[in-house]
Amino acid sequence: MIGFLSPAILLGLLALPLLWWLLRAVPPAPSRRRFPGVQLLLGLKDPESTPDHTPWWLLLLRLTALAAAIIAFAEPVLNPRAKTVSDARLLVLLDGGWASAPDWQARLSKVEAILASSTRPVALRLLTAPLPAEGDLGFAAASDLMPIVQSLTPAPYTPDRAAFADWLVQNPQEPFQTIWLSDGMNDAGPLAKALQKQGALSVVSSPSPALSLLPARIEGEQLLVPVHRVDSVGAISVPLLAIGPAPDGVEQVLWRSDARFTAGETDTLAIFDMPFELRNRITRIALGTGASAGGVVLADSGLIRRKVALYTPRDSQEGPQLVDPLFYLKKALEPSSQVIRGTLDELLLAVPDVLILADVTSLPDDETTRVLDWVEAGGTLLRFAGPRLASASRDIATVDPLLPVQLRAGGRQLGGAMTWATPKRLRPFGNDSPFAGLVPPDDVEVFAQVLAQPGPDLAGKVMAALEDGTPLVTATRHGQGRIVLFHVTANAEWSNLPLSGLFVDMLTRLSVSARGGAAAADELAGQNWLLVRALDGFGNLVDAAPAQAVSGEVLGKGERNATTPPGYYQSNEREVAVNLLSEETLPMALYGLPANVVVEGFDTRPETPLKPLLLLLAFALLALDIMASLFISGRLRGGAQVALVGLMLGIAPQADAQETTDARALLAANNTVLAYVLTGDSRTDEISRAGLYGLSRTLFERTSIEPVDPISVDIERDDISLIPFLYWPVSDLQTTLSPQAAGKVNSYLRNGGMILFDTRDAQLGAGSINGAALQRLTAQLEIPPLSPIEPDHVLGRSFYLLEVFPGRWNKGELWVEAPSNLTTTEGAPFRNLNDGVTPVVIGSNDFASAWALNENGRPMYPVGTGTRGDRQRELAKRFGVNLIMYVMTGNYKSDQVHIPALLERLGQ
Amino acid sequence: MSQAPQSLRARASAPKDLRARASAPKDLRARAQALAGALPPLLADAERLAANVAMGAHGRRRAGNGESFWQYRHAMPGDSLASIDWRRSAQGDALFIREREWEASQTVGFWVDPSKAMDYFSGKLEPKSQRAKLLALACASLLSRAGERVSLLASPAARPGFGQSKLHQMALALAGLGSDSDYGPLPHPHGVRGGHRLFFSDFMGDESTIFPALSAHAEAGNDGAIIHILDPSELSFPYDGRIIFESMGGLVDFETRRAKALRDEYLARLDTRSERLKTWAHRAGWHYLRHSTDTAPKAALLWLFNSLGAGR
Repeated sequence: MIGFLSPAILLGLLALPLLWWLLRAVPPAPSRRRFPGVQLLLGLKDPESTPDHTPWWLLLLRLTALAAAIIAFAEPVLNPRAKTVSDARLLVLLDGGWASAPDWQARLSKVEAILASSTRPVALRLLTAPLPAEGDLGFAAASDLMPIVQSLTPAPYTPDRAAFADWLVQNPQEPFQTIWLSDGMNDAGPLAKALQKQGALSVVSSPSPALSLLPARIEGEQLLVPVHRVDSVGAISVPLLAIGPAPDGVEQVLWRSDARFTAGETDTLAIFDMPFELRNRITRIALGTGASAGGVVLADSGLIRRKVALYTPRDSQEGPQLVDPLFYLKKALEPSSQVIRGTLDELLLAVPDVLILADVTSLPDDETTRVLDWVEAGGTLLRFAGPRLASASRDIATVDPLLPVQLRAGGRQLGGAMTWATPKRLRPFGNDSPFAGLVPPDDVEVFAQVLAQPGPDLAGKVMAALEDGTPLVTATRHGQGRIVLFHVTANAEWSNLPLSGLFVDMLTRLSVSARGGAAAADELAGQNWLLVRALDGFGNLVDAAPAQAVSGEVLGKGERNATTPPGYYQSNEREVAVNLLSEETLPMALYGLPANVVVEGFDTRPETPLKPLLLLLAFALLALDIMASLFISGRLRGGAQVALVGLMLGIAPQADAQETTDARALLAANNTVLAYVLTGDSRTDEISRAGLYGLSRTLFERTSIEPVDPISVDIERDDISLIPFLYWPVSDLQTTLSPQAAGKVNSYLRNGGMILFDTRDAQLGAGSINGAALQRLTAQLEIPPLSPIEPDHVLGRSFYLLEVFPGRWNKGELWVEAPSNLTTTEGAPFRNLNDGVTPVVIGSNDFASAWALNENGRPMYPVGTGTRGDRQRELAKRFGVNLIMYVMTGNYKSDQVHIPALLERLGQ
Repeated sequence: MSQAPQSLRARASAPKDLRARASAPKDLRARAQALAGALPPLLADAERLAANVAMGAHGRRRAGNGESFWQYRHAMPGDSLASIDWRRSAQGDALFIREREWEASQTVGFWVDPSKAMDYFSGKLEPKSQRAKLLALACASLLSRAGERVSLLASPAARPGFGQSKLHQMALALAGLGSDSDYGPLPHPHGVRGGHRLFFSDFMGDESTIFPALSAHAEAGNDGAIIHILDPSELSFPYDGRIIFESMGGLVDFETRRAKALRDEYLARLDTRSERLKTWAHRAGWHYLRHSTDTAPKAALLWLFNSLGAGR
């Protein structure tokens, strides 16, 4: 896109036809030629019919030159930025929700670009942040805001635009302009109108809004994940990853699937047709690219199909099917679980999740022991009462270990022809019951039941009770598992509970049956839920900060905000996954913007003035015109030609380039000098420079390494062979290495150089933009296999003893060359990791920002907060010292293991 | 191309440059040295060219006061006593007179147009004057060897003579040749009558001066040859566009807006000029040769030599 700063000058182009006419009318200057035959020419007449004129190509040349000059003075600019002439205050508004996460870094760059170019007061706001308390947006100098930009993170929920719009209405502000970096989703109308009341509004929106995943569900044997996009342009294919623990507990990608959108389609399904055992291990499903909180669905027990064993006693009597004690159970369980039947031997061999014994009196001792062992290992034993159990309990004086409570002899009948009592209804479930929140229907009645022997611990075992307080469902823990007893039959003989929907819900709550989908609101209701692991905006699971428990009703509403972020919630013993999006909260494409608001694309390509280029072109054309005119008038001779061309091209020998190279080589050879790789992003380069300056200073103060000021390295051009250490901040602005440069870096690494790659975003991996850039940059480099740094790596003790390697962030892992021969030497404090020194260290903690010092020796960028931040900065500096020590001394510290042997040999 | 080496042109140009500041007496000596330096190559070149032309038998085939024996004849009344060859007469009764072959040499007068027009050249060719001087000197060299007397008309070497010193003198005079006028007037036919005349010129000047002068020479009993030396560009007129043509001295100029359109008319005029020269030569019993500087000089020299021999 090209804009003109002085478009009025373009009117000059109208003069070109006039010039055309003039040039045509005025012939070129005649050439003078000595010619003895002139005497013979005297008196000859020029034929009138052929007037002389300028050749058309010369005319074209001149007109082009003039047009180029005119256009040049109109000051064309490539990718022009809207020049705001006003000095009104500026609000930079970010949506900051999950949908901004995939291109978060680009957004921050855009914000930085805006801040860097503005001199007026600026306020920076995330719509996901709490509303300002003081009724003031907190405008400040742009330079003050610059340091905090990189620390902004997207929130794992949808920005509340309406709330901010309301706030603006209630707290009228002085006029300000707004640049709104939108995520391109949902209703923008109210906020846009509120902002326009304050001043000009421009909206920047991502060209490819984030994709969202909806909670997975199971249909048949397949796991289906609905994928949604807000625009419907083009056919795309998106990879989806099912992630879960491998048998050794390490998370890995269990399955991959693709979601294909055809053009015009906004919703599609990703199908995971995977083995049932593997599927039960899924903990979450995430988008392979463009990760965000909306691109992750968490799985919980809802997606697990349990193996339920229904035990049929050997002496099973023939009888009508509808009074089969297992008939209703089968109906309730079969849709969502894998039901197996058989003898107890067979069932226990299959290691079921749940074993159901319906109206089984007692088991032989050896089988009892086996069942108890299985329960202890985590099985759930679910028992139902029945006439046989009731009659058996009459005889049993001792406690049956497979029952949660001791039963009284016999049971009781309610509401029969021979009793006074009426059938009993269910008492509402208590808050500590796993059934809390379920509402017992009025028509569920119990006609008969077995009774528990009262005891001091009975109250703790009751999960559900009848109106009169007699236990209906009791449970007890046994080892990892539990034993649950329904005091009624599993068929409709003793109560109509198995006929009601409540029965299925209760089974679900007992984790016997699965929902086959996301937790429904009524399943959450009535309980208080505590967030244990939360999704951050980028879709990573993090341990949740301690927070207040949320009531199930609030959680069940489906709206996610700061108090109910998506993640895993726990209540009592159950854990449910609460996902960001549901059918009701699906995002839509941005709408409601007033018509006069222009939505800009989302590129931060730099503004390039074209004036010098065009002027150069005009000059070159004019020079060419001189040559052409000379040629036409025949005054161009061999020597003159060469001289003119040479003059025109301005071939001046560049002697200073060589000198600079020599000076650099001398500097690097005569001193210890740290170097950083230029990324093309001046801000990053400045941070690198300041960081290495700070590190050099730290080294000078603390160690015998006394580096001079750091130098920058253009990896494509400069010689790096004399530099011991390269700091390479990874930025997606960097272009992929040319083969020559890659060869140079490879030979540098082979010959003992070391490069510290720093993605600076605290997340190493394909997910982040810088991570992808790192992969791209290093694709051609011969980097050995890497592994996260071992706790006893030399890097941790080459000067200071370090266990963590923080920079500005402290989360990212540090990767070094994988140890090849791990051996433990007798008596040595450390393992002999590998003799070689790692050629690369890859981290993501933005080390340079933590090392950075200004000329006065003051830190330039904030690290953490308070004392902890100071400590972190100190540790970062120590890591820097260790790293350079490691660069300089290699595995010297590893060799210390031989000191005992050396001393012994010396006879000391 | 001729065998004229590159150095000939290069060095021959030095006197031309020096001539430009001829009025300064103080560098007379330097000029003289430069001139002298230029001479031997010019001469050598001319000698070499002349040596390439096969020398035929040379003599007048009749008795005369030459040096070589011609015939014996009976003495006739009126013969001088001193002319009787007594050795021969003693062999018989009759008196014999020993006649020598008549070797009275002829005078060949050269004229090389000194005008500026002759300095013209196109491309990498040599100037017309250079070619004219080369041909003249080579021819003079040939003639001198044959015992003829040569002279350079309208120059310090105008006195006829022969031998190496005369050639040197001529070469010197040729090198110093020059004129301020655009087109040189032909010399007056004074001096020895009944000799040969060789005129080297481009004959681009005014016709009204050319033909009377030529006729004056013819009327003086001279026979001779006209060597019409032209540059190839004068023969083809390869010009186009808006051009101001100037004479070499800049005295005459002519502007055209489209030179190409004039080509045919110019060539026609040039042909007319050649034709008239040829016709005049034919009538006067002279010879005419049109020579272009891009052809080899040897052919022209051969022609010249033959044309002189044919007249005897």
